[in-house]
Amino acid sequence: MRPLHRIAFAMLAATLALGILALSGIAFGHRPDELVSILISGSIGSTFALQGTLLKSIPLLLTGLSVAVAFRAGVWNIGGEGQFLAGALGAFIGARYGMAAALAASVLAGALWASIATAMRLWRNAPEVLTTILLNFIAIHLLGYAVNGPLQEAGRRYPQSDAIPTSAMLPQLGSSELHAGIVLAVAAAVGVWFLLYRTAEGLRLRATGFNRSAAKWAGINVDAQLVRAMAISGALAGLAGGIELLGVTHRLFERFASGYGYAGIAVALLAQLHPLGTLASAFFFGAVTTGAGELQRTAGISSTVATFGQAIVILTMIALTRRKRDAA
Amino acid sequence: MRLSHITKRFGANVAVDDVSLDFTPGEIVGLVGENGAGKTTLMAIAAGELSADSGTLDEPLPVGVVHQHFLLVNEFTIAENLALSLWGRNAEAIIRDSGIELRDVRRRVASLSVGEKAKLELIKAIARHPRVLILDEPTSVLAPSEAQELFAVIRNLAAQGTTVVFISHKIPEVLEVASRIVVMRRGRIIVEGGAMSAEALAEAMVERRRVELPSETRGMGANPGNPADVIELSSALRVARGEIVAIIGVAGNGQSELAETLRRTLRGRVAHIPEDRTRDGLVAEMTIAENIALAEPHWRPRAAAARAAELITRFDIRAQSPLQRAGSLSGGNQQKVILARELQRQPEILIAAEPTRGLDIEATRFVHDELRAAAARGAAILLITSDLDEAFALGQAVHVIYRGTLSPRMTPDEAGRRAPSLMAGVGA
Amino acid sequence: MTQQLLAAIPLAIVASTPLLLAVLGELVVERAGMINLGIEGMMLTAAMTAVITAQWTNSIALGFLGGILGAAIVGALFGLFALRFRADQIVTGTALVLLAQGLTGFVYRELQQQAIFLRAVPAMRYDVILPLAWIGIPSALALLLWHTRFGLRLRACGELPAAVTANGASVAMHRWTALAIESVLTGLAGAYLSLAISSGFAENMVAGRGFIALSIVIFGRWKFKGAIVGTAVFGIAAAAQYAMQAGGRGVPFHLLLAVPYVITLLILCGIAGRVRAPESLGKA
Repeated sequence: MRPLHRIAFAMLAATLALGILALSGIAFGHRPDELVSILISGSIGSTFALQGTLLKSIPLLLTGLSVAVAFRAGVWNIGGEGQFLAGALGAFIGARYGMAAALAASVLAGALWASIATAMRLWRNAPEVLTTILLNFIAIHLLGYAVNGPLQEAGRRYPQSDAIPTSAMLPQLGSSELHAGIVLAVAAAVGVWFLLYRTAEGLRLRATGFNRSAAKWAGINVDAQLVRAMAISGALAGLAGGIELLGVTHRLFERFASGYGYAGIAVALLAQLHPLGTLASAFFFGAVTTGAGELQRTAGISSTVATFGQAIVILTMIALTRRKRDAA
Repeated sequence: MRLSHITKRFGANVAVDDVSLDFTPGEIVGLVGENGAGKTTLMAIAAGELSADSGTLDEPLPVGVVHQHFLLVNEFTIAENLALSLWGRNAEAIIRDSGIELRDVRRRVASLSVGEKAKLELIKAIARHPRVLILDEPTSVLAPSEAQELFAVIRNLAAQGTTVVFISHKIPEVLEVASRIVVMRRGRIIVEGGAMSAEALAEAMVERRRVELPSETRGMGANPGNPADVIELSSALRVARGEIVAIIGVAGNGQSELAETLRRTLRGRVAHIPEDRTRDGLVAEMTIAENIALAEPHWRPRAAAARAAELITRFDIRAQSPLQRAGSLSGGNQQKVILARELQRQPEILIAAEPTRGLDIEATRFVHDELRAAAARGAAILLITSDLDEAFALGQAVHVIYRGTLSPRMTPDEAGRRAPSLMAGVGA
Repeated sequence: MTQQLLAAIPLAIVASTPLLLAVLGELVVERAGMINLGIEGMMLTAAMTAVITAQWTNSIALGFLGGILGAAIVGALFGLFALRFRADQIVTGTALVLLAQGLTGFVYRELQQQAIFLRAVPAMRYDVILPLAWIGIPSALALLLWHTRFGLRLRACGELPAAVTANGASVAMHRWTALAIESVLTGLAGAYLSLAISSGFAENMVAGRGFIALSIVIFGRWKFKGAIVGTAVFGIAAAAQYAMQAGGRGVPFHLLLAVPYVITLLILCGIAGRVRAPESLGKA
C-alpha cells in the first residue's frame, strides 16, 4: 500500500471514531456542537490543553511501539497493561538509586514480566494471547497488594505509595508541564524504526511475523525471535510505566495503569504498525484521552468514551486494511 | 454430456482455449498433458465447480470428482467423513456397495495410509452414483499395486455405464487403462484418439523432448570412495561432496518428515529448498531483496538491493525490481529466488525437496543446471523428488523411501530395475 | 479446614456458573474454527443490558433476555468483522472487549441519572440457570455436536472448512450459528453475574472471566466433559483459597484476588503442550 493510502485510511478511521463518539453523545441528549467543542478545546484548544495531550501521548507512544514490535513479529502480546505496571513497580524500587537506575529498572521489569509469557509458550506451548492477558490481572492485583502493604505510604492513610525522591524525577522541560520523558519516547520511536527496518535482527523479526514457517526454512531461529520480540515489547511498555511514574504521578496507586496497555493496541493499529506512524497516532489518542477527561469534568460524560473511541479505531482499521488485501 | 467451445481465462492467462469434448457412457477417457496444460480447469468446468468465460455444457449429468488434494477431515473417523457427504447412510454399507476394500470405519483418517485415504475419497465419489467420474491424478500417491486395484474399480464402473475421466501425466498408466486418449497442451486439445504409441503420446504432450541428461554429470566432483569427503546426514544416508543423491518415493511416505528432520538437525553451511514453496519458501509480503537477505548476518537496504539485482540477472528472474514483493512473482520465478538465496550461501550441503514441481520445462532445465553446478563446486546435494525422470537425470546414487524407511543406496541402473517394487513396498 | 473446604463447594458451583456458560459457548465457537476473545466484552455488555432490562421491566426473566440481546449485539459485531471482513480474530476480539468496556461505562453512567434505573434490581427466586448450565445445556450441545449432521458440519468447519463447502454447505452459516449459540450462553452468563450473583452492574465486573473461559476450553481439550471438569476444578480451587483465607492465617486480600488468574496460568501451562486444537482455529 502506498504511504498516501495508509495516511488516508488512518485519517478516515480517526474521523469515524470522533463521529461515532459525537453520535452516541447525541443519543443521550447531549448537544453535538458542545461535545465537539469541549473535545477540541479540552485537548488542543490551549497551550495548557496541548501540554496535557502531549503528556498523555508519551505513555501511549511507548505502549503503541510495544504493540507494534510484538505484532510485527507475529507475537500476540496483549499484556501491555501488566508490563506497564511491572515497569512502574520496577522504577519505584529503582528510584532510590536515582533516575537512571529507575529507568533501567522499569525497562528490565517490563521485559521480565513479558518474558514469563515467553517461557510459558516455549516450555509448555501455552498461547501468549491468554497468558499475557492473565498476567495483566495478576500485575493489577500485585500492585494493589503493594500499595496496600509493603509499599504503602508512611502515613498509611491511602492505598498509595510515598512519592519518589526528587532526584529520581524526570526534569520538566522549561516552564512547561512537560517532562524529559517525551524526548525518551520519541527517541524510542526512532530506535524501534531503526531496529525493524535497518538491522538484520529487525528483518528477521518481521520475516517471522509475516511467515513463521518460511522464516524457519530460511534458517532463522524463530524461537529466538519470539524471545526477543516479547522482551523488547515488554521493555517498551515497562518504560512507559516507569516514565509515567518518574515524570507525572511520582507515586504508585491502585489504578495506575488506567488502560494505557490496551490503548497501545489502538495506537499501533492506527499507525499500521509503523514505528514513526505511532508518533501521530499516539498524539491523536492523547488528544482523545484528554478531551474525554474534559468531557467528564464539564459535561458529566464518562471518560470511558475514550476506550470506546479506541475500539472504533481498531475495528475501522482492520476492516479497511482487510478490504484492501481482498481487492489485491 | 458435452462441453462445447469452452474458454476460461485467469487474468491474462488463458487456461482453457476453445475446447470441445464429448463424454460417452462406458468409456474411460485418459486426459493427459503437462502441468498447467488446462486439464484440471477443464474438468472443474465439467463438474460445475467453475464457470466458463464462454462456451456451453450441454446435457449435463451428475458428476463426481476425486481431487488431487484430498478433502478429508483428518481428525474425523472414516465413518464421520462419509457422513459429512452422505448423511444418514451406513458407512459400512457405503463401502461394501462401492466394491472397494477399506476396513474398520472407526479409524481416524489421520492414521490411514495415503493409499487408504485415496480409496476413501473414491468411495465418497462413487457412493453418489455419478454418471461421469473425474479422477484428478489419482495414482500420484498410490503404490503400483494400489494403482492396479484402482484400475479394476474404474473398469468395473465403466462396464456399468459410467464415463470415467482419468487425468494423469503418466503415459504408461494412461495407455493401460484408457479407451480414448485426449492430450491437452496450453489450454487446447492437441490430439484425441484411441490407440496411441507411448512415443507419439509423449511427443504430443511436450513441445520439446524432455531435458536430456548429459552423461558427464555422473561421477564428477569429489570421490564418494574417499571417507573424508563423505557427509553423514543420518545413519542410513551419506552424501559425498560433489555428489547428488536422489531419494524417490510415492508422496506421503515420509519425505516431508525427512526434510524437516534434516532442517532441524543439520548445522553449518546448509541450504534448503523446501517442498511447499508457497508456505515455506518465501515471505510473500517482503521484497525480493529482503527475502534474499533473510539469512545474511547484516542488512543494509541499498547493498542488499544491489546484490538482489545482480542475482535477478544471473538467475534470469522475471522481476521488475529487487523491491518487488516476492508474492507477486510467478511460481517458477519464486523458485528461482529461493534457489538464488540458498546457493549464494555457498552451501556445503543442499537439501532440495521437489525443486521443480510445477515448473515449466525451461525453468526445470535451469534448476537442474544450477544443482549440477553446485555439485561441481563441491556441495553435497540431497534431492528428494517424486519425479523418477528427475531422480535418474541428476542422481549419482538413489534411495527409495517407503513408509518412512530408506532403502539401501543403489546405483541409478540398479534403482531403475528395483524402484517400482520398492516404492510399492514389495521385494525390499 | 476440610469442613470449610466442603462448605465452599456449593458456593464455588454457583460462583463458577457464569464461567461454565462462557466456556460452553466458546467451546462451540472454537469447534467451528473461531477464537473469540470478545467473549469478555459479550459478558460485560450482557451484564449491563440484563440489569437495565430487569430494572426497566421489573422482570428477572426479561432481564435474562436483555442479557442475551446485549451479548448478541457484540457477537454479531464479531461475526461481521471476523467472518464478513475476514479480519484477524484476535485483534477483533480485543477491540470488542475495549468497545464493551467503553460503551458500558458510558451508557451506564448516562442511564443511572434517570429515575427508573434507581429502582432495585428484582430478586431471583428460582435458579433455573444453574442446573441448565451444569447438566441441561452441555448435554444438549454434546448431542448437537456429535449426533447431528449440523454438528458434524460445524466441527468440520473447525478442521477443514473446504470439506464443508465441497458438500454444498455454507461454512459462514455454521459459524454464524455457532456465534448465535455463544451469544445466548454468554448472555445468560453475563445476566447471571449481574442478576443472580451481584444484583447490580459495576464497571469491568466480568474481571477476565471471558479470558479464563478461553483457557478452560483448552484445558478441557475442546470437549464438554472437559469443560465441566475444568470449570469445577477451577471453581473449587479458587473457593478453597478463599476458604483458607477465612480460616485465619492469612494471605493478604489483594494477593488473594490474583489467585484465580494464577490458577488459570497454571492450568494453561499444565495442559497446553499436550493438546491439539481444531486444525483451522482462528483462520477465517
